[in-house]
Formats: sequence, structure tokens, C-alpha cells
Amino acid sequence: MDYQKLAKRIVQRAEKKGARQAEAFLEVGRQSNVRVRDGQIEDLTQSTSKGVGLRVVVKDRLGFAFTSDFEPAGLERLVDQAVKLAEAAAPSKLNGLPGQKDLGRYADTGDLFDPAVANLPGDWKVKAALEAEKAGREVDPRIATFNAVGAGDFVSEVYVASSEGMSGGYSGTYVYLYAMPVASEAGQLQKGYWLDYKRFLADLEAPESIGREASRRAVRMLGAKRVKTQQVPVLFDPLVAASFISGIADAADGNSVYQKASVLAAHQGKRLAGAHVTLVDDGLLPRGLSTAPFDGEGVPTRRTPILEKGVLRNFLYDAYTARKAKARPTGNATRGYSSLPGIGTSNLYLEPGTKSPEELIRETGRGFYVTSLLGHGADPVSGELSAGANGLWIEDGELTHAVQEVTVAGNLLTMLQDLDGVASDLQFRGGSTGAPTVRFRQLTLSGE
Amino acid sequence: MPRASAPTRRATSSQLAPLAARRPTPAPLLPQPLLERLLAVAMARGGDFAEVYVERTQTTSVSLEESRIKSAQTGLVQGVGVRVISGAKVGYAYSDDWDEPALLRAASTAAMIAQGTGAERAFPVSRVAVPSHFRIPASLADVEVAQKAALLTRADEAARAFDSRVTQVNGAYVDNTRRIAVANTEGRYTEDTLEMCRLFVQVVAQGKRNERRMGQFGSGGRVPFTHWLTFPPEDVAREAARQAVATLGAVDCAAGPQTVVLAPGWSGILLHEAVGHGLEADFIRKGTSLFAGKVGEKVASDLVTVIDDGTVAGNRGTLNIDDEGNAAERKVLIENGVLKGYLYDGLNAKLMGQRSTGSGRRESFRHLPMPRMTNTFLAPGNHHPEDILKEVKRGLYCATFGGGQVDISNGNFVFEVSEAYQIEDGKLGRPVKNAILIGVGPEALKNVSRVGCDPMPDPGMGTCGKNGQNVPVGVGLPTVRIDNVTVGGTQVG
Repeated sequence: MDYQKLAKRIVQRAEKKGARQAEAFLEVGRQSNVRVRDGQIEDLTQSTSKGVGLRVVVKDRLGFAFTSDFEPAGLERLVDQAVKLAEAAAPSKLNGLPGQKDLGRYADTGDLFDPAVANLPGDWKVKAALEAEKAGREVDPRIATFNAVGAGDFVSEVYVASSEGMSGGYSGTYVYLYAMPVASEAGQLQKGYWLDYKRFLADLEAPESIGREASRRAVRMLGAKRVKTQQVPVLFDPLVAASFISGIADAADGNSVYQKASVLAAHQGKRLAGAHVTLVDDGLLPRGLSTAPFDGEGVPTRRTPILEKGVLRNFLYDAYTARKAKARPTGNATRGYSSLPGIGTSNLYLEPGTKSPEELIRETGRGFYVTSLLGHGADPVSGELSAGANGLWIEDGELTHAVQEVTVAGNLLTMLQDLDGVASDLQFRGGSTGAPTVRFRQLTLSGE
Repeated sequence: MPRASAPTRRATSSQLAPLAARRPTPAPLLPQPLLERLLAVAMARGGDFAEVYVERTQTTSVSLEESRIKSAQTGLVQGVGVRVISGAKVGYAYSDDWDEPALLRAASTAAMIAQGTGAERAFPVSRVAVPSHFRIPASLADVEVAQKAALLTRADEAARAFDSRVTQVNGAYVDNTRRIAVANTEGRYTEDTLEMCRLFVQVVAQGKRNERRMGQFGSGGRVPFTHWLTFPPEDVAREAARQAVATLGAVDCAAGPQTVVLAPGWSGILLHEAVGHGLEADFIRKGTSLFAGKVGEKVASDLVTVIDDGTVAGNRGTLNIDDEGNAAERKVLIENGVLKGYLYDGLNAKLMGQRSTGSGRRESFRHLPMPRMTNTFLAPGNHHPEDILKEVKRGLYCATFGGGQVDISNGNFVFEVSEAYQIEDGKLGRPVKNAILIGVGPEALKNVSRVGCDPMPDPGMGTCGKNGQNVPVGVGLPTVRIDNVTVGGTQVG
């Protein structure tokens, strides 16, 4: 089936039924994943999926419907429902699809599709997962069991068509591998977790390496205990640092800023961190997981610095919010076929520094190195962050015993000011948000 | 006493309407001969068990921001998943195409997990009646969208009228009508319709010096649209606004161990995280939960009795049948502090020599079922909530809650407190900000020293995520005191 044509046909049908503007966002995919356990397949899932979302504007009112039913009757119902639903919404002059001047030209994204992933033999994933499990088990006799070890891939195609002249599509590949071992000693269980997730098979970390690192992370948590309540320098490893910068990006959501429901709202143009802090959303990052020529409504993606050398430069926008806030869209409309576009990040990362993480730990002397957080992260309205933390204690510049059942707390604004170290180990670990190891001069640790 | 005055209450089974009032049975999702044909194909390579899961879900949602209905949307997702079990191995394939060739393809793909070449044979099924724990006389899908939008407009007005410091109100209404059919090679064929709605309101209040606080509240469950007559959207909105305004001027929270008192209701998330997940049979079978091998052992204080009940009338986590076609049950997990048992889906029950507890749930046909909670609550105790507070000399009163998370291996759980007050000499003091509780499941439960006799309203807004699958759940807890809980905060000393 020619899905690009189908998307266009749905748009035309909607216009015929009274929509002043219409846009179809269509996704098609196939995916497969496997989990292994004790040297055997645990489960194997294969599937195909598809769906289309239709956004219409009727007399300045917005309607939206989606379906996974591509039969003619299903698509007819889709169009009727979208148009009918527009009647329930309030009219607003701001409603409208991205126009010619928003759509513009697409920049070069480089390759998004790896034939090696698309043609991956079925047993490759089984073999890779088994290798990861075996390597993980061999790390240490205290590796008692695994929550899961698995691998998977998917191939997806996206097509967008609109009455405003948008017509485009792209396809991409994704492959991933993960291991979640559990180490056991003296009645204490500690889990580890390591993974890799890439567009290109050649970029994917080796299965043995995934298994070993996951187990190393589990074993080093054994014997974890609480420490005293205190204020100390705190380091976040790259995974944890990635969740911290996601919190900043949440607060840089153009709609929250417009509604003054963001801690960053009043700070545009101000210095919030040291010159070593640059936070970028880059929809064009070469080989990035979220790299694409256009966003969820056809607006070209681009590189948008949120913090540039410590100064708050930009917020993130989709077309509607940009119009409302009198800002420029940044190509940050994210969505699946079953939802309207919303504002989200593409490839988000904190630019790396020059010191190695070991150097950063060494010069810290005494502090807390956090390797996982529990909780939902910062409150974007107040900027407050309070989360459970697991990790390792730093004494005399060395990692010593494991720490659990403590929390770290601070506020995004003060944490940015206190962010006094950025290491060189930037990595995108399991997602499109990447960060290096970072250090905060001081955070409150709550424990005994 | 400030508390989350949740506008919902627990319905009892006596409120169930007589069966005669139920809606007529709709036509089957897939014809029975096709279900049987798919089972036969799925077993063609000699699997031990096969199951066909059919789902058609219609969703409507409406959102409001800046006092305007921003959008109304509706959608249909439908598909079929075929699962084959061979020993401990599972093969799964799903398709959102309903045509016969696509479905047969899915069945033969799933069949590949078994290595045999056995001849195809017939697997007849017969329809089994399912219980009914909620009554929705008129489908939510048939209610006019304008009526759903009106709930949000009313909520917006009520939140803004509540206090002049309210600056932003965002609201969303969502309902879905989910039809499922499950047929398996044990001959069991069940169908059910699950309806659910939820209203959610988020309010931002602004105080002095640009201080901004958020409040959020919701209501809903497996309830008809008439729910909003008894639990009007204004109540939901005013509660969200009350939280936002009440926390303006909050002071830093003291870090370190404290005595905490939890307000009743939504605080049940603590139980869900601290013990619930650790009792799910997949974690138990794999030995990754710290509760594995502890049945019969004391894991909590005598005051603690934990129940998971999928049959509570109209609750958000309630099911007639689970996503494997087994009837929902009421399970006592912990009784007077002693661990009684775990939550089983079909596969883990079979591998562990147990029976399913009706806990096999999945987000959709795109997912494999796994053991999950339904409505999880702490049985009420004997203490009066006022006395529980009065007895605490210094501590923290946790009035409303964000969410929680648990690491089931080391048992560490967190519980985010969105509205908290200092307790001084048995009375509530100033609001504190940015509080979070952390503990290790069994230790925290051993420190439960008072359990209230008060009702525990479940607002009906809980969603639980596990291995990337989200399912609606209910929670409940009476007023509870827990000693020596580590409270995360910013104030030291």
C-alpha cells in the first residue's frame, strides 16, 4: 500500500466533509523482541502495527480522531468523527495547522535506516540475549538471577500529509539489548541494569559488554546501607544525569512557560549556570534515536540550545503554542498517531566537559555518587526535586561502599547554579536523552 | 484537619444492580469458529497451551486549558494477540488487521515457539458467563462529547472561583470502552466489556515573590456518566485548587527520620509500592523480590492486613475477568502481619504449581499478560484518626500524594508527598514543601504503629506502570502512623 497517498486521500476526504484544514499522521511498523532466561528463550513476540491520526480545523475549532482500522469504512468513520468532534471544541483564532512559512525546507538528517537492522535474522536477537546473560552470570558467583535479559528491533515508517502543503515521510530502524541481573548476598538483593538502544547495528554495544556492565552494577550495590543526613557534594552518573536534564527540558516546555507554570518562565536570557553548562535539543543529531527531517506536524527539526554556556536561551515549541506565545516553532511537536501533537524533546543532551568521571570523583574527595533515582523527578512548576537515591559513597576520592534508602533534594535553579563539574563521558544510554557524569557542589542527602 | 477530601467513596457490593438491568449482550468480537481455527493453528507445532486475545477499545478525551476547551478527540484501537506456551517458553504475535489471513499469520508465528511438527487438531471452546462488578447502563462511548466538555468548563470555573491566587487551570476528561474476548485451549471462552472514565484537574496558584504551587486531583472509576451528578466536577476542581493554595508559603522540609501520619485514601500508593509489587508472582518465581520464599513469615506489624480485591464495585482497578479470562478475586496478601500469598497470572501459577488469582493483566493486545494488582488496600484498624494525630509530639502529616516507585529487589520504595504539614504537640503546623518518604518495604510495614478506623476514599485516578505496561488500579489506606520513616527534604539539623 502507498501510505503517503493514503494519508493524502484522508486529508482530501476531510476537506470534502467540511474541514477547512486537515492533517493525517500515519505510522506503520513491525517489531520483534525476545527475552531469555537460564540459557533458553523465555518469550518471543512479533508483530505488525499501524494507525492514523486525523487533525481537522472546522470554523476555527479543532477536532481529532485516530484509528488502526484502515478498511474504507473505518477511514470514513475516522473522517466523520474528527469533523463531528470539532463541533464540541471552542473556536479559537489560534487553531490551525502549521502553514507554508512554518513548514519550510528540511535539513539533511543523514541516514535513519539501517538495512542491517531491518534484515536482522530472527535468531540474532536470541543469540545476543543469551550471550549477554552468559557474560553477566560469569561476572560474579553472587549473580543469583535475572529479572530479564532481552533484545529487540523495530522498523517504523511515518507519513504526514496536510491541506497546507505538507507531504513527507521517512523510515527508521531501531535495535536494543538489555540485561537486568540481581545479585544476592547475606539476604540482600540488589539489581543491576544496563542497556543500549541504537538506530544502527554497528553502533550497538556488544552483548557481552552489556551483560558484564549490568552485573557489575548489581554486585557493587551489595552491602548497601544508609548514611547520615548531611549536605555533601553529589555526582550523578550519566543515566541519572539524563533524568535530571529531562527535568530541565520539562520546565522549558513552551506551553508551561506561556502558562507561567514553569520555574524557568521568568528567566529567559538570564545566566542560570556556569559557562560549562550547555543543554541542547537537536532534532538533527547524526544517528540520533529521535533524529528526523520533520516533527510530529511536519515542521523541520533543528538544533535548539536551551542553556548556552549557562544562559537560558530558548524554550521548546510546537506550532500552536508558538502562535499563542508569539514565538517561533522549534520543531518540537512529538506524538504518536493516537494523540495530538504535544511539546517534547528530540535528542536532548548536555554537552560534555574535558575531565574523565574518575577525575571528577577523585577531586571530590568526599561525597555521594548516585547511580539510580526513585521517583518522578522534579516538579516543573516549583522546580523542586526530591527523590530516592542509590549509589556509592566517595571517600578520599575513591568509590567505597554502596548506599541505599536515602534521598537527595534540591531545586532545579539552585542545582543548576551548583552544577560545578561536567565530565567527558557523554552517552545516550537507552534513549534519546544523553548526559555525561555531573557534579553538584552540594545537595541535601536525607538518611539516618 | 486538612486532608484530601476525595469526592469519591467506596461503593459496596450491595449497590450492585440486579442482573436483569444489565445491557443486552453485544455480538461477539470474533466469530467462535474463527477463534477455534486460530487456536488450532497456534497449536499446530505442538504447544502446551494457546490463547487468543481480542480487543476493541474506543476512547474519547477532551482537554481544557486557559478556560477554553482545547480539543476533543476520539479513537479506536483494535487487534488480536495469539499466545502459545511450550514448557516455560512463550511465543506471542499480534496484529491490528482483523482479516482472516493476517490473524492466521499471527497464530502461525506464535506457534513457532514450539519445535514439534504435530498434526493440526481441533480445540473447541465454550462461552463461560462472567461475573459483574460494575454496572454502566448507558455506554460512556454514547454520551455526547458536549456533556463531557461541560464537566471541564464547570471544573475550570469552580477552580478559579475558589481563590484569587489560582492562575492556571488545566483539565482533562478521558473515557474508554474496552471490549475483550479471551479463548484458550482449555476450552474457556469469555467476553467482557470494561468501561472507565476519569476527570483530572491541575491547578497552579501563585503567591508572593513569584512562588508557584501545583495542585492536582481526579475522580472516576468504572462508573456510569451519572457519577458526575453525585460527584460533581466542581468538587474535583476545588480540591485541586485547595491543594495548590494550601501549599503556598510552605517551608523547607526537615531531612531525616521522623514519625509520619498519612491521611486516608490516595495514600494507599504507599502500600502499592512498599509491598504490592514485591508480591507479584513473576518476581517471586524469578527470585528477584525480597518477599520471595517468605509465605508464613512475619513481614509487617500485627496491625497490617493487606488485601488485593478485583471485585470492589465500580472501582478503577476492578475487573470482571482478568486479561486471561479468569474471574477477578479478593485476595488476602498479608494478614495481621503474616505473608499469606502472592498474586498469580496463569503462566506463573502453572510454573509454580499454584492457581491463578485472576491477576493476569495487560495494557492491550500488544502486550503479554503478567501478574498485576487490581485494588490494593489496608484493612481498617481500631484507632480514631483524631487520636492518631493527637499522640504525635513531633512529626510530619502527609495530606496528599504524588506518586511512588519501588525497587522490588532491595525493597527501597519512595512515596512523593505533595501536601504535608509539620506536626507539633499533636496539632498541625506549617505546610512543608518538597517532601518524599523513603523506606524498605518490610521494615516500613513493621513500623506501622497505628491504623485508623476511618474510610479510605479512592479518588479513582491511579495508573500503575510495570515493564512498560500501564493499567488502571485502585488504592486505599485508612489514616496510618508509621514510626521512624526517612523523610527526604532540604533542611538539615
